[in-house]
Amino acid sequence: MRGRPNLYTDYKKESAIFANLTQKFWFSILVLTSASLVFFASNYWILLLTTAFLISIAAWGINIVSGFAGQISLAHGVFVGIGTYTASVLGGIATTSVIGYQILGYELDMIIWLPLSGISAALIGLMIAPISVRLKGLNLGLVTLALVFIASHLFSNLKPITGGAGLGRKAAKLVLLGFDFEQGVNLGNFILEKNQLIYLLSLALCIFAGLGVKNLTRSKTGRAFSAIRDGDIAAEAIGVSLYKFKSFAFALSSFYAGVAGSLLFSVSGGVDPGTFNLLYSITFIAIVIIGGAGTVLGPLFGSLFYILFPGAIQTAMHAFGDTGQSLALSTGQIERIIFGLFIILFLIFEPRGLWGIWFRLRNYFKAWPFSY
Amino acid sequence: MTLFFQATAEGLALGAVYSLVAIGFVLIYKAMDVLSFAQPALAVVGAGFISSLAVDRGIPFWIALILGILITGVLSLLIERTFLRPMVGEPVFSVAILTIGIDILLRTTLDNWIGLNPRYLGDPFPSFGNFGSITVSGVTLKYLEISAFFTAVLSITLLTLFFKKSKYGVAMRATSYDQEAALAQGIDVGKIFGLVWFIAGILASLAGFFITGGFNTLTQFSFISALRALPAVVIGGLDSIPGAVVGSLIIGLTQGYVAYFQLNIEEFLGFSIGSGFSLVAPYLIMFVILLFKPDGLFGTEEVERV
Repeated sequence: MRGRPNLYTDYKKESAIFANLTQKFWFSILVLTSASLVFFASNYWILLLTTAFLISIAAWGINIVSGFAGQISLAHGVFVGIGTYTASVLGGIATTSVIGYQILGYELDMIIWLPLSGISAALIGLMIAPISVRLKGLNLGLVTLALVFIASHLFSNLKPITGGAGLGRKAAKLVLLGFDFEQGVNLGNFILEKNQLIYLLSLALCIFAGLGVKNLTRSKTGRAFSAIRDGDIAAEAIGVSLYKFKSFAFALSSFYAGVAGSLLFSVSGGVDPGTFNLLYSITFIAIVIIGGAGTVLGPLFGSLFYILFPGAIQTAMHAFGDTGQSLALSTGQIERIIFGLFIILFLIFEPRGLWGIWFRLRNYFKAWPFSY
Repeated sequence: MTLFFQATAEGLALGAVYSLVAIGFVLIYKAMDVLSFAQPALAVVGAGFISSLAVDRGIPFWIALILGILITGVLSLLIERTFLRPMVGEPVFSVAILTIGIDILLRTTLDNWIGLNPRYLGDPFPSFGNFGSITVSGVTLKYLEISAFFTAVLSITLLTLFFKKSKYGVAMRATSYDQEAALAQGIDVGKIFGLVWFIAGILASLAGFFITGGFNTLTQFSFISALRALPAVVIGGLDSIPGAVVGSLIIGLTQGYVAYFQLNIEEFLGFSIGSGFSLVAPYLIMFVILLFKPDGLFGTEEVERV
């Protein structure tokens, strides 16, 4: 086997999560480096990376339903919202204006609300699924668009749960197995603070979610998804149950979104129902397109790019001694314009997204010095 | 009963405005198989041009109106040439997402220009006070609404004549029927694409004017009103112009009735449906209609080959 890394002698080896030892080695190096970043990176970058990891979980969700199963969903942000509000009701603090669920005077533990927020989003996803069996293509996208507006109406009007438009509520309290993240952990002289703990938690979740997606692609379900994407009538003809697998794709995708949503706003502390608007849902589609739709690594690349790029812009502007006032556009607007441009440019020039660029780079160096 | 007529009048006017945007959607979809999410953005950008010319630059209103509409048409043509042309033959959904990218570009630039204060679009009849209104047996009709209705009727008539009689209109119909066959018959399909976007841009900016004209004003949220043409198109069927008009009227009337009778509806239902429900009702209707008729009321059913 040595020296012939692309020779697979059986199917099991070819479809393994890690094809060879080298991949395993580099993967563990990557995980260790990311984990040890808590000791080096500044709070700003830690926060950005945390958000990127959580966003990538949600992006994997929409990649499952749109990239793998080919069902267009413009309402992914809604499921993120459902996850957020499930978590904040179950694990958040009740005030005079919003409700929170308590047992013996304590908010529920994360070990309970984290899965539950995923499950509740998945249940709503299952309710949407029959529509996806009836509709397909653009029409499905448009129905989910309607869903975005209906959901944001509900979000801003269900005041006991969401706090109402413009006011919002606090996100869930982070208490894992009785341990409050606010306390921090002492490692000798080094104190791991709340943000750093959330970082580690989201890194772990992100790894699990990613491995889950990778595992999905090599399972029967994953193959059924691809079959539906490539031709749903043909898939049905060879015995893939459209109803079952489309529903499963929606449920799984919503589960990912819900889990991501439950933690996403604990980083910043509060959440306003106006967050979950159309643009928010479109962001996830854009992330998947920029990263590479239908690939395992794509959503991760996309969300790292989406979150870290604005940070990079701001760092660059600070480096040039520019605070943004002298420009005609604010930094937020520059970000949005660049974001919009990237959607367009990637679709025109590199439909496989960042993953496609990575793929070509990798192959270039694999074959180096030959160009074939 | 007065309330009912008032709601009907406003609903019809709204529907007329939506139908302008909706027809643009349908034209583009028929010619290129592209669902352009950029259409609502073009509507507000058109309003922005008019406002900038008429108010900021002080050009006489009517000239500003015509100039603004033409500029939007040209902008829409440019968008087609630069961004949409390389995407011919790509999957429908990729192109739809691409138009979302265009929408983000257009609206961010526009929002930056609008700023926080509402923008006025100028007023040709200062004596009426921002287009004014008349009262017919208790029903207040704004002149802006009346003119929106008649502009829509006129545009639809002109477009119908254009498709029936003019050389380019027939070429457009041929293109939407079969692009390759049209090309083989000597029709410059590329030119037709451009023309379609030009017309769609003009219609969108007309709608944009009626959405934001008078006291409505152009704000960063005007876009949401223009976007409501989307459910209208979907209800009517993506590839049917009569469908677009009917869909727009359904949406407009729904919005009008719900806005005026929300209290009665809530009383009937027994629970509150939330403030601003009239703005969501169109989407709810689209949701329900799509479930029963996946291709809309007038759309042709999609036949798929395996």
